[in-house]
Amino acid sequence: MQSDYVSTLPVLFTTQTPHVLPPQKFMIPAAWKRYQLSQLVNKALSLETPIPFDFIVKGDILRTSLEEWCSANGVGTEETLELEYVESLMPPSHLSSIPHDDWVSSVSCRIDGRFVTGSYDGQVRLFDSSQKLVHSFSAHEAPLTSMKVLQRGQDDVVIATASQDTTARLTSLSYSSSPSSKTLASLHLHTNTISSISASSSGTHLLTGSWDSLIGIWDTSIPEADQVPTDDRKKRRKVNENGDAPRRKGPVGIMKGHTGRITSVEFSDDDKYAFSAGLDSSIRCWDVENEICIGSVIASTKPFLSILVPQHPHTLLASSTDRTVTMYDTRQLRAPSSTATTYTTSSLSHPATPSALAASPKNSYHVASGAYDGVVRIWDLRSTRDSIAVATFKVPEVGANGEPRKGDGKILALDWAKNGLLAVGGESGLDIWNVPE
Amino acid sequence: MALNLANKSKKRKHTVTEGSKSLASNEFSDSVGLDMNSDDEEGAQEDGDSDEEVEEFPELHPESSDDEGSGSDEESEEEDEEDEGSEGTDTAYDHDERPGVYPEPKIVDSDITGMPKKIYPEIEPDYDSDSSTEEDPNRVGNIPMHWYDDLPHIGYDINGKKVLRPARGDELDKFLKTVEDPSAWMSGFDKNTQSDKPLTAEELDIIRRLYAGENPDAEYDPYEPTVEWFTGKGKEEVMPLSAAPEPKRRWVPSKWEKQKVMKIVRAIRQGRILPKKPTSSTSKPQFYNLWSTAASDQPPPPPAPKTRLPTNAESYNPPEEYLPDDEERAKWEATDREDRERDYLPHKYSALRLVPGYQDFIRDRFYRQLDLYLAPRVQRKKLNIDPESLIPKLPSPSSLKPFPIYRALRHVHQSGNVRCVDVSPDGAWVVSGDDQGLVSLWEVLVGRAVKTWNFKSKVSSVRWCPRSDVSYFVVGVDEHIHFLIPPNLSSSLLSATQNLLAPAELPAAPDVPSPVKWATKPSFDITSHASILTLHLPQSTGLAKQLTWHRRGDYLASLSNTESGSVWIHQISRRHSQAPFRKVKGAVQAVQFHPLKPHFFVATQRYVRLYDLSQQALIKTLTPGFRWISSLDVHPSGDHLIVGSYDKKLCWFDLEMGDKPYKILRYHAKAIRSLAFHATLPLFASSSDDGTIQLFHARVFNDMMTDPLIVPLKILKGHKIANDLGVLQIRWVPGQPWLVSAGADGDASVWCT
Repeated sequence: MQSDYVSTLPVLFTTQTPHVLPPQKFMIPAAWKRYQLSQLVNKALSLETPIPFDFIVKGDILRTSLEEWCSANGVGTEETLELEYVESLMPPSHLSSIPHDDWVSSVSCRIDGRFVTGSYDGQVRLFDSSQKLVHSFSAHEAPLTSMKVLQRGQDDVVIATASQDTTARLTSLSYSSSPSSKTLASLHLHTNTISSISASSSGTHLLTGSWDSLIGIWDTSIPEADQVPTDDRKKRRKVNENGDAPRRKGPVGIMKGHTGRITSVEFSDDDKYAFSAGLDSSIRCWDVENEICIGSVIASTKPFLSILVPQHPHTLLASSTDRTVTMYDTRQLRAPSSTATTYTTSSLSHPATPSALAASPKNSYHVASGAYDGVVRIWDLRSTRDSIAVATFKVPEVGANGEPRKGDGKILALDWAKNGLLAVGGESGLDIWNVPE
Repeated sequence: MALNLANKSKKRKHTVTEGSKSLASNEFSDSVGLDMNSDDEEGAQEDGDSDEEVEEFPELHPESSDDEGSGSDEESEEEDEEDEGSEGTDTAYDHDERPGVYPEPKIVDSDITGMPKKIYPEIEPDYDSDSSTEEDPNRVGNIPMHWYDDLPHIGYDINGKKVLRPARGDELDKFLKTVEDPSAWMSGFDKNTQSDKPLTAEELDIIRRLYAGENPDAEYDPYEPTVEWFTGKGKEEVMPLSAAPEPKRRWVPSKWEKQKVMKIVRAIRQGRILPKKPTSSTSKPQFYNLWSTAASDQPPPPPAPKTRLPTNAESYNPPEEYLPDDEERAKWEATDREDRERDYLPHKYSALRLVPGYQDFIRDRFYRQLDLYLAPRVQRKKLNIDPESLIPKLPSPSSLKPFPIYRALRHVHQSGNVRCVDVSPDGAWVVSGDDQGLVSLWEVLVGRAVKTWNFKSKVSSVRWCPRSDVSYFVVGVDEHIHFLIPPNLSSSLLSATQNLLAPAELPAAPDVPSPVKWATKPSFDITSHASILTLHLPQSTGLAKQLTWHRRGDYLASLSNTESGSVWIHQISRRHSQAPFRKVKGAVQAVQFHPLKPHFFVATQRYVRLYDLSQQALIKTLTPGFRWISSLDVHPSGDHLIVGSYDKKLCWFDLEMGDKPYKILRYHAKAIRSLAFHATLPLFASSSDDGTIQLFHARVFNDMMTDPLIVPLKILKGHKIANDLGVLQIRWVPGQPWLVSAGADGDASVWCT
């Protein structure tokens, strides 16, 4: 009798997936793990095709048995556990890698089925769905640091690029049958490398963040004439002669406040606000309309590299050189006079410098981070306590043509397409992974 | 009868005292008759009206003649006369009075037999007699006389009769007596008879002699005549004792004595002996305070170790419980002598006589001697201090964040051996140079080379100009210093830089032509891979191995490899070079500008010298005590200096504290290659050929009292050792706690927090 006795735990299943169980308590054997629980849910729902589920207990993804989790977290066996089940993330699969001549500093999957990459040789490349190079043009002479794709019409986009040559450019790209590109305007404000460019969701405004600690606000309209005079008389004459030359465009507004180099700027979801982060260890929240800083986080010794505004509401993720990705609450950030430094909710620690961040378009809880060790990690924002990624995959060591890659395979850019493809750009070119969700 | 006799003798004594008194008072009285006329004698005459007084008188003569044997003839004659007179009166008494002479018998016819018989006079037990020393009426002996205080008598005489207490007058009588009787002072209280007793003449004479300091014995003659028993006339020795002839040496001067003297004379002549030493302060008798030195604190040497006292178990008849059983005995015998718990086995003997000889005696003595001989005689002071408490309390490294802890990225030079590295003053760019002549400019954050220059020869040093209004860096290649402008500058910055390095109007050439050539490229294109300005150092000065900027960015010091004329200071604005030192002692290893003052540090192999450039004077010479200095760096405050050496050590100088290092740190396993202070944070780092970079927290306090706090923070490992070279140069990223390092393995690395 005694040997047959199995300790059980009262468990309540909740979910936000369409597969809902009736709200009732289950007595679950304490030794059960995720697999048994997932089978139980599948059986209870009597699903035709089994869906693997993950279970979240009090902000932890269940990776051990229930009993071990209870003893590790000091939860009594009499307490009712609330298990939230979510559909598991399938292991990502590597689809293809597209080698580049130079490091890829920026990727975009904004055009369905196509990938746009900007690289350090100043080239912008367009790949179609079969990963073939469709078009490439030289946006800058100097290394291109950041790129955004603005949808303008059918088969027509405007690509905003930022470069180390202190300018940003707007280039129109039509990718219909015969792809063509034309540089529309160059944005002149900054005196140092522009590190980041961001576009509003409507596509009407741009933000540039630069190493000269200024943030420029731009609209995307192309002026008829130069707004900024050229420095050089010779050049000006040349420009006047050539009517097709890009217009020199000035900023709509300038936001000052950072004390160090700005590494990343992002619009908020509603385009009213902007967030910026810099090497001065601060994240600032700006009112774009009034061009004022309305809140900031000054962390101690966290030089930030990039920020991400995921779909998860009121959340801001920022990666820094101390190998963490920290979550901030934008409501507190936005509140006036909130310069406190203690309201970080959690941080995800990495073994190497996390340089790129991307948010899942489908699942608002999933976030990908790419680091200098060439590893992409996918995190679930609900389970952030023990800093274990949901999925981890490394950029292959061997290139497409079979030769080993040079360098560390640093990841510099990430973009997550709506169809679940994750574009990973970095030292080794572009890699495309399929992340089924 | 006896009482009479006693009285008589008393009387006689009285007279004797009288005589001696007269002797004492006036040495020799003129005549006895005078004496007789004294008051004293009058009383006596009154008493002596009886016959006895007459009888008594001659008594004095033999006594006094005995007493004063050496008295004057005059007196003795007179006494003789009186003696004769008295003899006639009583012959019988005369017999009595002759001491030492047998009493002559009186021949009397016996009444019974009728025959004549000799009748001897009755023997008086007198003072002079043989049989008795003194007659004393009271025979109680030497007892406390207060026993008789309450009784009418004071004792018993020889016949057992009571001796009655003599009448002793009261104090008034005593006083009257002293007044009336001049001889009252000559009496003493006789305890036995409880009465005053007049002192005899002998006693008075003894008192007088003692008083005069003479020999108390009146018989003693200190001036006895010499009796010549063996010498003197007629007793001379005439014959010699030996008949041997007189030896020659008795009259010939001694030869060896002469030799001895000559030896001394020779020594004096040669000055080996100073016959009269000059009296100097040292030759004076030296006095010193015996107790001037304090007693030593050292405890006295400890006594020899004591032997262990025997216990019950060592008894020949120990209690039963001490006796080992067979198992214990076997075990004891099985173990080695050194391992035994005790070196004997208790054994029981019923009697002590059955105890055999102790077989280990010799061995025990031997070991005891060894103990005594080898025992430490010096007390070793054992410190009861926890060694942990002696380690200074250093703050934990985690509380001293931020400092670099991991390698964020690497920039790979394919050829290997990245020789030098430097970071731009805004902290955004790193320039690194390798041995193949490749100079690479790359971002700190990403690590991608933006532009490379190839000089096809060993790049020895790169340095970024610290000015913020212009942007360029200098590269030392062989004997040339190239000035390079990074790409992608804003137009204003670029034009400012170009105006500085290649001005349209060259400044006036210096009066004294310098051997250093300033060559500007006439038409410069920013996209080209050429230097805008090149300094050609004089030929055969060797590699420009170190370049260092003054804080303001106008002066550049270059250090070449050769020994002479190696240090140059170049002024960019005036396009002029000068050698500050005509000749430097030793091979210069490193130079550095003082961050605040116009001072210049020059490190040779063993010394670091600090020169004042405006005064053109040497200020200080610092001696780190190393054999070969490799590198140095100056703290941003200018008051502190770190010096690294090829002999693995690093030392910290406080320039306020003299020329000896404040601290010497030896943590590296191999030669130190490079040192760097962080410009703003309290950090410094050292890199070594062992492939490690060591980080230190170095907090410098503004007050003069507190010493700098140096805390080792972390060892950064990651660079591989290639050709016995490790990390060749390190630089801090301005504004960030990041470190950039150049490794011999071809990696230029960025270390982040």
